[in-house]
Amino acid sequence: MIYTGKICTKCIYDDRTPAITFDDNGICNYCKSVENLIQEYQTGLSEGERRINEIIEQIKKEGKDKKYDCVIGVSGGTDSSFMIHWAIEKGLRPLAVHYDNTWNTAIATENIRKVLTKLKVDLFTLVVNNKEVDDIFRSFFLASVPELDACTDLALAETMYRAAAQHGVKYVLEGHSFIAEGVTPLGKNYFDGKYISSIHKKYGELPMKTYPLMTFGKFMKWTVFKRIKKIRPLWYIQYSKEDAKKFLEKEFGWEYYGGHHLENRMTAFNHSYYFPKKFNIDYRNNTLSASCRSKQITREKALDEYYNHPPYLEPELLNYFKKRLRFSDPEFDKIMSQRPRYWYEFPTYKKRFERLKPLFFLLSKANLVPYSFYMKYCFPVNKNS
Amino acid sequence: MITIVNYGMGNLGSVLNMFKKVGAQAQVSSDLEVIRKASKILLPGVGAFDTAIQRIHAVGMKEVLDHKALEEKIPVLGICLGMQLLTEGSEEGKLPGLGWIKGSTFNFKNRIDSNLKVPHMGWNTVRISKQTALTKGYEGEIKFYFVHSYYVLVKNENNSMMKTGYGVEFDSAVVNDNIFGAQFHPEKSHKFGMKLFENFSKL
Amino acid sequence: MLQKRIIPCLQLINESLVKTIKFSNPGYIGDPINTVRIFNELEVDELCFLDIRATVENRQPNFKILAEIANECFMPLAYGGGIKDAETAKQILSIGFEKIVLNTAAMKTPNLVSEIASYSGSQSVIGSIDIKKNFFGKYLVYINDGTQKTEMDPVLYAQKMQELGAGELLITSIDRDGTWNGFELEIIKKITDVVKIPVIANGGAGSLEHISDAVKKANASAVALGSMVVYQKKGLGVLVNFPDKIELEKVVA
Repeated sequence: MIYTGKICTKCIYDDRTPAITFDDNGICNYCKSVENLIQEYQTGLSEGERRINEIIEQIKKEGKDKKYDCVIGVSGGTDSSFMIHWAIEKGLRPLAVHYDNTWNTAIATENIRKVLTKLKVDLFTLVVNNKEVDDIFRSFFLASVPELDACTDLALAETMYRAAAQHGVKYVLEGHSFIAEGVTPLGKNYFDGKYISSIHKKYGELPMKTYPLMTFGKFMKWTVFKRIKKIRPLWYIQYSKEDAKKFLEKEFGWEYYGGHHLENRMTAFNHSYYFPKKFNIDYRNNTLSASCRSKQITREKALDEYYNHPPYLEPELLNYFKKRLRFSDPEFDKIMSQRPRYWYEFPTYKKRFERLKPLFFLLSKANLVPYSFYMKYCFPVNKNS
Repeated sequence: MITIVNYGMGNLGSVLNMFKKVGAQAQVSSDLEVIRKASKILLPGVGAFDTAIQRIHAVGMKEVLDHKALEEKIPVLGICLGMQLLTEGSEEGKLPGLGWIKGSTFNFKNRIDSNLKVPHMGWNTVRISKQTALTKGYEGEIKFYFVHSYYVLVKNENNSMMKTGYGVEFDSAVVNDNIFGAQFHPEKSHKFGMKLFENFSKL
Repeated sequence: MLQKRIIPCLQLINESLVKTIKFSNPGYIGDPINTVRIFNELEVDELCFLDIRATVENRQPNFKILAEIANECFMPLAYGGGIKDAETAKQILSIGFEKIVLNTAAMKTPNLVSEIASYSGSQSVIGSIDIKKNFFGKYLVYINDGTQKTEMDPVLYAQKMQELGAGELLITSIDRDGTWNGFELEIIKKITDVVKIPVIANGGAGSLEHISDAVKKANASAVALGSMVVYQKKGLGVLVNFPDKIELEKVVA
């Protein structure tokens, strides 16, 4: 049953999407954002290509006498696997970095191995202690907040910085693509280091020893003092996720795991079960909207996929989640039915980011933080949207 | 529902799990009433021949099993020692087997080259000697995990389903109408075992 | 044809997977259940788990984790670490492990080997011998996670284990553990020359060539891999993996 409210005429976000507005043609502000980013970065155009090549030359120059000139985070997924290939093609000497939250599927691990082995790229891994990370996941689940997997995203960012600093590398390349993934709406989802430690302090039991927490201090250290830059090549070049998948399959025997982020069991649980069941949010609209905008699929097909086909849930996933985080069936059901809570109910760095808006503006201009970070973190958010 | 007969010998957890993994409904039971109602039976077994036969007799299970296999003719699969029990007898013990398949169980020791270690333990290949519902879908090299010191030879070639070589060529899987046996451990033979269990569950 | 066995040998410290170098400095590898799932999907033929600190820390095996591991695995499993009596051994076998590994206990109470072998069969008992070379190049058996030296000669001890009823032997070189420098072929061959039961070479595997040497030069029936299956390469990141089966076949044939 397709939603009967107002849906964007270009993508499939609708009036339930936080902070959405529509213009006279029914096109939403998120589509506009993407268009603006394309304009700004000249994505897929010769100017965009020129700019990224310039950045590449700079990376090579600065990394000349070092073992690696850049760091690339890998997860076994499409974008990061493609990034490694792209970097090698461009003559860069990357160090691949993986944060292992111990919930990886074999497909993810094998994909990492296949790509890195063929391209002869070295891997740096940070494996968090399984008991510790499970304690953090448990805390977030008990807190009934949406950001169940936030600790993984933040840990990867911190791990990449650490690996870069360890090897004197000044550039971190990320495989994020606003064209392939869309711009995540502001509002109900948020995370930073303080948020994670607040939730953990309240609901956790084990001290964080191996978990790489990015505190504000660390964030400043990497960006302001070490001046490690974040570059997102896919913001400049022509990139199609579908084409990338086909290429990876053919070139490396890489395997698709059936959905965005499903290569990791925690993310799979999050997207296939937790968000839809508890928050009534199906995040597939992000990637589907992105696919509409870039004309990879028709809007009709996207709507059909979104409304007529539920997210894929791996059969044993729920049992694995419950067993691993030590929840009995009744306990699990009880927590799932608890009222959802949100980030603004806990201590975070948000106010500090807003106060330091001018600083982050400068940092984003210098590529020391992504522009999307500035947009999301430094502006007050309407919590009622 | 596949009923895994529990007569106190054999690790049933892995068997149960593999059935679950291939999407088949299975339960473990030592209760004669439950076994009486079974629509399919799996006969496991690890250990000594005589001990197993004694146990089966002791709880009155033999009559129930005979009825299910020979009269009701429901699908039955015996694995490892469970397959040896299907024969008429074993050199390992003195008691007669269930006798559902004509043939006997012999000792590897003194029959094979002294360089070959006993028990026969490890992954070994099989060749299909008779195509049945259980051999569906196998392609290329087929191997299973074996751990046994005694081997089975059937009297009628018609009852041989798979053969394996280890000093001698023996029957690694057998069949007699609705009754099947596998000398290897399907529950420890990952994808190869899964295919067998899947085929059995679809009978 | 009976295949040569290549066995990932995973080190546990209670509920975490680790990897040592020369029996020291355990590096954290990850969650055992998740790792087992990966090996399941890689269709490895056999797995061995050793809780390397159970005996020195005077701990019982962690039955909860072992049950979870056994439930996840669809290939034969061996477990060693802190097994001191027949009851514990039986319990582990009934959880779903095919074999138990005895190290320190076999030295301290040799009868345990026979007891378990006669109850569950020789094939369920792996005798584990940890070996270090002394200053003069003499091989000696060590126990208690390599912390206690004995004056036992490994070859004589191996024969003794065979007599007691062990079904196979796990021969581990402490000097080579985690070094990627290849197996201690000399002592492995000395042992395979005198025993009839299968010998698993352990400690030092770093390449396919090492695996080939263990099988062809030292006559090992099976080869255990440690660092090779948990790291991308020597000195690099954690990445659970298994050598390509076709390549393996070529080197052990």
